[in-house]
Amino acid sequence: MAAIVFYLATVVNYFFIYNILAWGLNIQFGYAGILDFTYITFMAVGAYVAGVTSLGPQQPGTGVVYILGWHLPFPIPILLGGLAAAVLGLIVGLLAINRLRSDYLAIVTLSVGIILYSLVGNLTGLFDGFDGLVGVPEPLNGQVHLGVNTYSIFYMAVSGAVMLLLWFFAQRLRASPLGRTMRAIREDVDVAEAFGKNTFRIRLSAMVIGCFYAGVGGALLIGFVGAFSPDGWSTQETFIIWAILLIGGRGNNWGSVVGSFLVIALLSEATRYLPTIPNNAFLEPALRNIVIGAGLIVVLRFRPQGILPERKAHFPEIRTAAAQAGDPGRD
Amino acid sequence: MTIFWLSVGFGLVTASVLALASVGLSLQFGVTNYVNFAYGAFLTLGAYFAWTVLTGGHLPLGLAIVIGALGVGVVGVLCDRIVFRSFTRSGFPLFYLLIVSFGVSLILGNVVQGVWGPSPQFFAVVSQFPLHIGPFLLTPAQLVIIGVAIVSMVGVHLLLTRTRLGKAMRAMSDNPALAQVSGIDINRVTTWAWFISGSLAGLAGIALAISTASFEPGFGENFLFTIFAAVIVGGIGQPYGAMLGAFLIGMVTEVSAAFIDPSYSTDLAFVVLIVMLLLRPQGLIPARGKA
Repeated sequence: MAAIVFYLATVVNYFFIYNILAWGLNIQFGYAGILDFTYITFMAVGAYVAGVTSLGPQQPGTGVVYILGWHLPFPIPILLGGLAAAVLGLIVGLLAINRLRSDYLAIVTLSVGIILYSLVGNLTGLFDGFDGLVGVPEPLNGQVHLGVNTYSIFYMAVSGAVMLLLWFFAQRLRASPLGRTMRAIREDVDVAEAFGKNTFRIRLSAMVIGCFYAGVGGALLIGFVGAFSPDGWSTQETFIIWAILLIGGRGNNWGSVVGSFLVIALLSEATRYLPTIPNNAFLEPALRNIVIGAGLIVVLRFRPQGILPERKAHFPEIRTAAAQAGDPGRD
Repeated sequence: MTIFWLSVGFGLVTASVLALASVGLSLQFGVTNYVNFAYGAFLTLGAYFAWTVLTGGHLPLGLAIVIGALGVGVVGVLCDRIVFRSFTRSGFPLFYLLIVSFGVSLILGNVVQGVWGPSPQFFAVVSQFPLHIGPFLLTPAQLVIIGVAIVSMVGVHLLLTRTRLGKAMRAMSDNPALAQVSGIDINRVTTWAWFISGSLAGLAGIALAISTASFEPGFGENFLFTIFAAVIVGGIGQPYGAMLGAFLIGMVTEVSAAFIDPSYSTDLAFVVLIVMLLLRPQGLIPARGKA
């Protein structure tokens, strides 16, 4: 019984965290049309910064090397993780946004991810290199003193609260003038510019806000798992967030919820019913990723807007050609 | 000074591998006008195909390389026919193709992982004795890599300038609509572009596996960024620019290793890429209408 509860609590925690991650990518891509192919890097930076600010000073002899070690209490490391990711997002955005076509942006973001991966891996003093951080304290468990099973249930409340806060903000942003301008830029940059919008600054702010979400999501993840290493940075991980967003439906935050539910169900349950193939332990995780990749391609082909498509804004008084040319998602 | 010349020699090898890879990527990009993010997985597949033919079929290395390269060419055509073309035909916007190729990369990479397992493999030729050639110190295999790259580059040049197919590719690269109304069979040219691009990727993957001593799943994907750097520095969609960019990036990454920690050589390629994007984003040899 306890095992099932623990399993469910774990899945729900992942569900909450992936919702946050998907909303961040939705703000970048679904709202503002930024092709961020290294989203996982911002998540990783958030996780690392939250990790090293909640860990105590590094202990000689353990072999785990890292910077800071501030031992800060609960919400502050998560906030710092989000801010660190946002700062990195600002730098990448300044470098890459507004430079040429969207595929260049995709290439540059992908490159940034690979470079940071190699830097973190090689600079062993920064975040312990390729070994990563371990033993990150569980948020608030210094106060509540719970066992593993009960704590994962308690953690649902923590991640759930953060999720609701970020949900509220993402929804407000979507309806706000800023969010509407972001979507206008996504549809047509030139038109938005013609209306006097500073498209560069607005896309930059979408990039930064999205990265903050990624950082907070990463911070929550490291708080729950307690460890993180560069293995978790791979492009495949970015692809899973993209799959969540695109399968669920981009542009609206409910789509991400549906997407993360489906993808997590697929990730944790899909290969359970496959016959076990002896002598090949690598086949199962490989098959899981193949199913995710193929699933995404099929959904994109036959339901390009995702399962929950974004509802088009209606302007009853001006029902002209602009309203009918309802093909969204230009590059 | 000796170390400098040695690193120039290694730079030539890396530049050769990069040239094969980036010309293939550029050729396909020019014809289809979207970036194939699965290209790194093509490299990985090439190495594994050739290795399987070599160790399983006991064929000579030269034949294994040819089979490996052409096999990836077929994979490229299949990817185009099964996946990409159904998106391009229905007029999906650009970012769909980027995401889809990202997905194809995930599928191919995991096929490699599932079929061959995660442990590193190597080609037997890597343990050859190096030869002194002028100031350079290169193994026969590395010399063959340089030779294969030069022959392939000349071949691509002849293809683009002397054959109907090559001219049709250039025409499609300049203006697809105009090419189509001029009577060019764009479906056939696209298929050929995928086949040649895939074959060059397979060749590059085998060359990379030989020059880096061992290979494992994902090694081509990790190299993809360096290919992008070469392609963008040279000017995207331009095979000649890709050759130039490959030479530049190959030299920078290897020669720098004589002076700084080699584990940062990829980072240096990135610095070159960023400087290029800031100063001359259209690349050294810009292609009209591509940037």
